[in-house]
Amino acid sequence: MANDYDVAVVGGGHNALVTAAYLGRAGKRVIVLERRARVGGAAETSELGGVRVPRLAHTVGRLRPSVVRDLDLRAHGLELVAPDVSAFAPQPDGRAITLWSDQARTVDGLRAISTHDADAYPDFDRLVRSLGRFLGEIAGQTPPDIKSPGLGDALAGLKLGRTFRGLGKRDGHTILRVLPMAVADFVAEAFETDALQAAIAWRGVQYCSAGPWSAGTAAVLLGDSAGNDGGAAGQTVFAIGGPGAVADALAAAARAAGVEIRTDADVAAITSRDGVVTGVAFASGEEIAAASVVSGVDPKRTLTKLCDPVAIGPSMLWRAGNYRTPGVVSKVNLVLSGLPRFTAAAGDDEQLLRGRIVVAPGIDAIERAFDASKYGRASESPVFEATIPSLVDPSLVEGAPAGTHVMSVVAQYTPYQLREGSWDDDGRRSSVGDAVVAALEALAPGFGGLVREREVLTPLDLERDYGLSGGHPLHGEPGLDQFFLWRPFLGHARYRLPIEGLYLAGSGAHPGGGITGQPGQNAAREILADLKRRRS
Amino acid sequence: MAQRYDAVIIGGGHNGLVSAAYLARAGMKTLVLEQRHVLGGAAVTEEIFPGFRFSVFSYVVSLLRPEIIRELQLPRHGLDILPLDGTFTPLRESDGPAAGGGDYLWRVNDHGRTIRELRRWSKLDAEAYEEYGQLMVEMARFIKPILAITPPDLTSLDPRPLMPLAGLARTFQGLPERQQAVFVQLMTMSAADFLDQWFETDPLKATMAASGIIGTYQGVRSPGTAYVLLHHYMGEIDGAFRAWGIPKGGTGGVSNAIASAARALGAEIRTEAPVARIIVKNGRATGVALEDGEEIEARDILSSVDSRRTFLGLVEPGALEPEFEEEVRRFKFRGSSGKVNLAVDRLPDFTCLPGEGEHLRGAISFSPSLDEMEQAYDDAKYGQFSRKPYIDMIIPTLVDPSMAPPGKHVISCFVQYAPYKLAPELGTWDDQREAFGDAVIDRIAEFAPNIRDVILHRNVQTPLDIERTTGLSEGNIFQGELSLEQLFFNRPVPGYARFRTPIRDLWLCGSATHPGGGIMGANGRIAAMEVLKARGRKAA
Repeated sequence: MANDYDVAVVGGGHNALVTAAYLGRAGKRVIVLERRARVGGAAETSELGGVRVPRLAHTVGRLRPSVVRDLDLRAHGLELVAPDVSAFAPQPDGRAITLWSDQARTVDGLRAISTHDADAYPDFDRLVRSLGRFLGEIAGQTPPDIKSPGLGDALAGLKLGRTFRGLGKRDGHTILRVLPMAVADFVAEAFETDALQAAIAWRGVQYCSAGPWSAGTAAVLLGDSAGNDGGAAGQTVFAIGGPGAVADALAAAARAAGVEIRTDADVAAITSRDGVVTGVAFASGEEIAAASVVSGVDPKRTLTKLCDPVAIGPSMLWRAGNYRTPGVVSKVNLVLSGLPRFTAAAGDDEQLLRGRIVVAPGIDAIERAFDASKYGRASESPVFEATIPSLVDPSLVEGAPAGTHVMSVVAQYTPYQLREGSWDDDGRRSSVGDAVVAALEALAPGFGGLVREREVLTPLDLERDYGLSGGHPLHGEPGLDQFFLWRPFLGHARYRLPIEGLYLAGSGAHPGGGITGQPGQNAAREILADLKRRRS
Repeated sequence: MAQRYDAVIIGGGHNGLVSAAYLARAGMKTLVLEQRHVLGGAAVTEEIFPGFRFSVFSYVVSLLRPEIIRELQLPRHGLDILPLDGTFTPLRESDGPAAGGGDYLWRVNDHGRTIRELRRWSKLDAEAYEEYGQLMVEMARFIKPILAITPPDLTSLDPRPLMPLAGLARTFQGLPERQQAVFVQLMTMSAADFLDQWFETDPLKATMAASGIIGTYQGVRSPGTAYVLLHHYMGEIDGAFRAWGIPKGGTGGVSNAIASAARALGAEIRTEAPVARIIVKNGRATGVALEDGEEIEARDILSSVDSRRTFLGLVEPGALEPEFEEEVRRFKFRGSSGKVNLAVDRLPDFTCLPGEGEHLRGAISFSPSLDEMEQAYDDAKYGQFSRKPYIDMIIPTLVDPSMAPPGKHVISCFVQYAPYKLAPELGTWDDQREAFGDAVIDRIAEFAPNIRDVILHRNVQTPLDIERTTGLSEGNIFQGELSLEQLFFNRPVPGYARFRTPIRDLWLCGSATHPGGGIMGANGRIAAMEVLKARGRKAA
């Protein structure tokens, strides 16, 4: 039977769109099948109370420049904007840590808090950038083939080894030491001020079921700094029109490359025969035949829900079933009738609130918030990152009364698996919103009175709505056990899943989650290599 | 004029003694200098109370390398390891029926019996236990050679030190895919996450996971703790010699046997000879000065004390680059364990299995659930000693009655967590020693209420006491936290994991080096081999 398409892409998240666009540009007949009404997955702008909010992800600064360039995303309408302030971390005592994209400005501000830390900041920034650059290069590479007889040589001599030696002896030693570290230790090596340590360490635990004292969180921080210009302060870049604009630009680029996109198309199964993929099937019975299938869905769902268990085999099923997806993030979206006034901003809210507002007052505060989740409880004092994108992008609140703003909050820790009750129980969902608003009220008196609309998405909602296993926004915990050569599984880190012709292109693949487009780009490269090989 | 030796070894702990024995065996004129009156470092036996002898710190032997036992002929020098049979995990009535309240979990060396016991708890777990055990033996077989290699410097341009790694990579590639995956999990996961993949019985998981956190400042849910689960299976593959047990006469028995072997091979050993500094001339270590002023010259100096004390305490200031000193300072110690030694006139009586019996002859693990294990760690994270600590209890007198007067017993309680750095409101360990001891007794009493009535004497060792007595920085029993970033080529300083130091002819040979702590002896042996290689000598 003739194939309807060369490639069928299951799921229309941003990585899936990236893969589809690259494949389309290479002349392949590609169809993207998205279960929801719109593509983009976690990169979504949605409506709330008459204005537009970033529904899940809120910043897009990790999007790889090469993806933007290759796919002409600017020509397809993508417009990015980066405020001067990167992060503003208000403290309970009324002081604040402010990290600017301009290093000198950050150092100036830190001087009022600690001379030691102000002096240490440039070196730390340099280190984060150097290690981040290295990880950025690794992120763009397909992990080596562990089955290759030349694995040792590959590690030592080839691209990876060269990249590693490019770090120099000093940073080379440092990265081997730092990657498995707890981020709390990593920041404490540079800084003495708890509030500063926490403001930076937050990026090492965001979206993770881990606290700052968990091993491997330094790697998450550095991964967040990989391939972007954020440095120690971290990237803070908004898409005009919200993260959905990234999805729109990617979809436009894909369509321009001849890719067909179908929404409301819920793939029920990835079909295969004799260990070779044959296409996809819908619940309705409709089938689409394709020579290759790309999954943008997380690996657990892909292998345990969409594939034929016989084709996967018991050992791989066991591994896929044990793939860790402990979601802990809730999303709180707010429409505000006015700009909040943070005590710590001392009247400069208009400027300071343009970046990421990090409410994580101390390493212990983050760790204690994490502690609750270990025992299946939501943190009573959650830690979170908020943004007010309408400050840099007024188009989001067009038509709303003057002064209206939208606030997007990524709150932790709210475990998917509650020890008692369910997220659907009365008041459970709203208690998360209440805790966030209460924390903001304490830092910005009068905050509660500004809230006009509120939307709370718990991990359970993320799973139901976006199909994220365990409600994990990163398609799986970015732990040391699900990293690089073994993300998602050792032996399957090269974007090829155990059924021939089936590929993984989403955040469950190396280099992991976040709006980067990197797994999608890497997967496209590998798929094209295979298609070329198969033809010849 | 000062005497001259081929090698002087600082510290008469088990690793220092092992190094000495191997160097002497190769014909080197070797001297060991120990500050205390007893040999063994943390592996010592002392009569703390009249008639009651204790393994004061380290209390079991689990990993002593069989090649050392063989090559140094330790049994001839008095080494006799008495087997410990099984691990007994008591539960309380208050745990409730769902958690097995009032019951116990008892695993013994007899595999069939253990499986029957597990079946009582969960049929699935009993099945999984077999498969798990086989897999872990395979894993141990693979990992064993790593314990015996000198870690390469990955940033080095010289490919030769990488060769052992290439060999390992090939072996790894030969493993079935599932074993490869499990190996990666063991190196990166938390003990709890790893075990969750196999088992459902909480006390089983908690007790197994406990081995992953011993001596570390980590919880059972901390990534990187799964690896130690393997240690329990290392012994099995060594075959001939039973690896897990208590030495006759206490852990000092091991030290004395190694010391006796070293002496027989020609090594000289001096106790109460504290070293004040390492003499460095033109970037070369030339000898040591004792606290009483005596100077001793040697071609090679081996330090078995930890990296902080060696480089920041013993090496003359100015001999090291500030950058190196910074790296040394960075190396984390964070002792997290304490020890409570009890002299008793009767045995503890457990509510869940009353009376004296076989169950008291092995390890008694106070680890009713993963949550309680993790909560014990949570306390420590914020500078408190655990309110409900994990305790690994051994009653040595049941296998070696010579340790106490007839009819009486000694009990060894290894306790976690007891963080070296207490929260400011608690003051110092000198203020908290007895409160900590009370917390331990309260914990035992939850399971064996008669404990309070049977105690004749109590000796509490806090991390501060361990530091003061043995010299282990911050009371860390492994000479430095066994966290992932402090293992293998990072141990103890990145770029200096090959037993060498920036000072020529100064070597490290203690637990601060690869492969880390425990009464293993591997460090001392590999270090001695490196020295012999550098001096062009055969290992005899």
